[in-house]
Amino acid sequence: MNQFGTIALIAGLAFAVYGAVVGAVAGKLRSSRMLKSAERAVVAFFASITLAIIAVEYNLLTNDFHSAYVAEHSNRALRLLYKIPALWSGQEGSLLFWTWLLSIYVLLAVLLNRRKNRQLMPYVISIALAVGTFFASITFFLANPFNRLAETSPNGLQPFTPADGNGLNPALQYHSMVIHPPMLYLGYVGFVIPFAFAMSALITRQLGDNWIRVTRRWTMVPWMFLGTGILLGANWAYFVLGWGGYWGWDPVENASLLPWLAATAFLHSVMIQEKRGMLKVWNMVLIILTFFLSIFGTFLTRSGIISSVHAFAQSNIGSYFSVFLGVIAAFSLTLLFLRLDYLKSENRLDSVISRESGFLFNNWILLAAVFAVLWGTIFPILSKAVEGVTVTVGPPFFDRVMVPIGLLLLLLTGAGPLLAWRKTSFQSLKRNFTLPLIVAAVAGILLYVGGVRKLDPWMSLSLCAFVAACVLGEFYKGARTRMKTAGEHFIQALYNLTMKNTRRYGGYVIHLGIVMLFVGFSGLAFKSETQGLMRPGDILQADGYLLRCENITRGQTANYKYTTVSLSVTHHGRAIGVLKPQKRFYLASQQPITHVAVHPSLAQDLYVVLAGRDPGTGKAVIQVFINPLVEWVWIGGIVMFLGTLLALVPSRAEREIAEIRRKKDLVVEAERAG
Amino acid sequence: MLLATAILLTVGLMIYVAAPLLAPEGPEESVLPIDVTLQSDLKRRRMVIYDNLQDLEFEFKAGKIAPEDYESLRRNYLAEAAQLMLASQDQEKMSEHEALIEREVAAQRAALRKAAPQSYACPKCGYENPLPVKFCGECGAKMPGQ
Repeated sequence: MNQFGTIALIAGLAFAVYGAVVGAVAGKLRSSRMLKSAERAVVAFFASITLAIIAVEYNLLTNDFHSAYVAEHSNRALRLLYKIPALWSGQEGSLLFWTWLLSIYVLLAVLLNRRKNRQLMPYVISIALAVGTFFASITFFLANPFNRLAETSPNGLQPFTPADGNGLNPALQYHSMVIHPPMLYLGYVGFVIPFAFAMSALITRQLGDNWIRVTRRWTMVPWMFLGTGILLGANWAYFVLGWGGYWGWDPVENASLLPWLAATAFLHSVMIQEKRGMLKVWNMVLIILTFFLSIFGTFLTRSGIISSVHAFAQSNIGSYFSVFLGVIAAFSLTLLFLRLDYLKSENRLDSVISRESGFLFNNWILLAAVFAVLWGTIFPILSKAVEGVTVTVGPPFFDRVMVPIGLLLLLLTGAGPLLAWRKTSFQSLKRNFTLPLIVAAVAGILLYVGGVRKLDPWMSLSLCAFVAACVLGEFYKGARTRMKTAGEHFIQALYNLTMKNTRRYGGYVIHLGIVMLFVGFSGLAFKSETQGLMRPGDILQADGYLLRCENITRGQTANYKYTTVSLSVTHHGRAIGVLKPQKRFYLASQQPITHVAVHPSLAQDLYVVLAGRDPGTGKAVIQVFINPLVEWVWIGGIVMFLGTLLALVPSRAEREIAEIRRKKDLVVEAERAG
Repeated sequence: MLLATAILLTVGLMIYVAAPLLAPEGPEESVLPIDVTLQSDLKRRRMVIYDNLQDLEFEFKAGKIAPEDYESLRRNYLAEAAQLMLASQDQEKMSEHEALIEREVAAQRAALRKAAPQSYACPKCGYENPLPVKFCGECGAKMPGQ
């Protein structure tokens, strides 16, 4: 199967090169048969890479340990559920996976634009496949998943097949780890398409708002996946790493946050270009930045230039990525510079207090966030280069910088949608802000009386109340207006309101999700930690909870040895069940891992870790964290995901336009045929 | 066996990719159509303004916008829409003129093609004269029909 895979990979690489070249020529000559050939090259690229993926999966599932990748990342006792994702657990497999996802995205772009954007498509294909060429060649030449094991013997190099593999990194043997990497990759990879459309618009000088309308959805989809991927990673960190938190400002976490922030800025500022024909250059810069940062994120994860919890992916391919990043920056910025004349704004900012300036402000803050995170992430490299000593800035730096930025963003999440386009007078401001401000003030007082005395969480939670009032107010006011004008009842009005402009109300749902995220973040300020040594019969007290050690069991499965502590738990005297924190020792990889036991609730999580065994007394070391409001982070993530799906649904007007276009196409086809 | 399958599949894909370049093509399909004409762009921009107006109307009814803001914004949008409509009309006139010119040119070309003989080859030496001439440019023999 290795030969099969190798041929498929070479074919994929060849089709990518062919498509990139022929696409560009087709664009230059405006040749429709060449475009057709380039489109077919996309299909062939996808088919070849799919075959290569099948080959790797076949090797994994059949325990072909002669294959170096399988020997390194799998073993016989590994559960089937984890054998499939072993594809993306190592460098070689994940690069191939990256290439495959890219091929899917390009294929979709081609299929959905069979009739539309015929001038843009040749260059879109060319640019996307140029990126595909880079990833396919890195996979083939530097990180080939089809390499075979060999050993040196007196007779020269002999093929070698070990009896069993090294096994999958135990930290990755967790259910959200199965979908976390694909989600993140779908995010990272997906930004290729809007980037390709933007570049194509620059090349063909078609710089009206057409490319913006085309790319909006293509940006929203990867944005959604990236956000979900980041939260799934946080979820994994929370339940597997066992340090009580879910976000540690680790360089690789930051790397995924960077393109997400840039894309968030882009998704907001495109609206100004669509509505008002402004910020054309800015939007180009943002989409270039988003794509650049998504490759930069891959580079940080892969290069090993910064140490991180994701050390499993380190290697020497970093230098190739830095050259690629240089090429992207040089190409896109030169092109942008050459086309500056075509990107003149159609309108000017009418007033400082308007929706436009609200969006602009939001953009600046998001970019400030990008810069702050980037600065903190690459500071170790910078300090090494300048002073010769690696200085790492830790979570305190990020907390100090990002808390104010986050709070400002939260404020805008609520206030922005209440500002009118073009200009907002004091009268209008008063109409819109009175109620939310009252709600925020009441919430602030209640929180203070309720014992929230720290400034950051107090501000954050009060602002959450403010934003929730703003957003829910939008739904309420809209529905009420429809009730008056169309005579609908409330639920019907709410539904019609949303479906008529899915994009706006989907956006508001996302804003509600953001509020929930911030409620969750605020809880961090109140977390507490207790530690105790326990043997059966011992009792540990932690903030209203009583944990009684029932028994300690030890055992072994084919894959790992384990120790489990059973703790019966009561909260203020009420029994809430038995928690079983576990420590595992994986045999193939000889690595320990904790399995945290959590009792979740909307108010707070009881989070129990079996940290190990005290060498002196032989008792189990039990760490107990009380994490208030954490569940809201996951709920907020789900709400954001659903909100994005809602925004992706074509609104009624869009569906009508699509229907008209389809009918027109049918007529044209009928004319051609007869 | 697997190796042969892989090679066969690759060759199949290669033929699939190259096929459009080898097939004959109809004239109407040879050049890529324009995505956004100036006319449709103007129309679209006008639609955006109408959209903005609708939004404004709705937000005013919902009580989000003060009456004076509403009035001035509405006037602004209407003026913009009117401007775009004028531009559209100009553009339409332009394209009518252009279409007329195009038709004239096409008619002239067709007339020329019909009038001109197919070839100006010399009956004596066989030289293909590039223009209709009285005497062959190569051997100087008198050309027929001149």
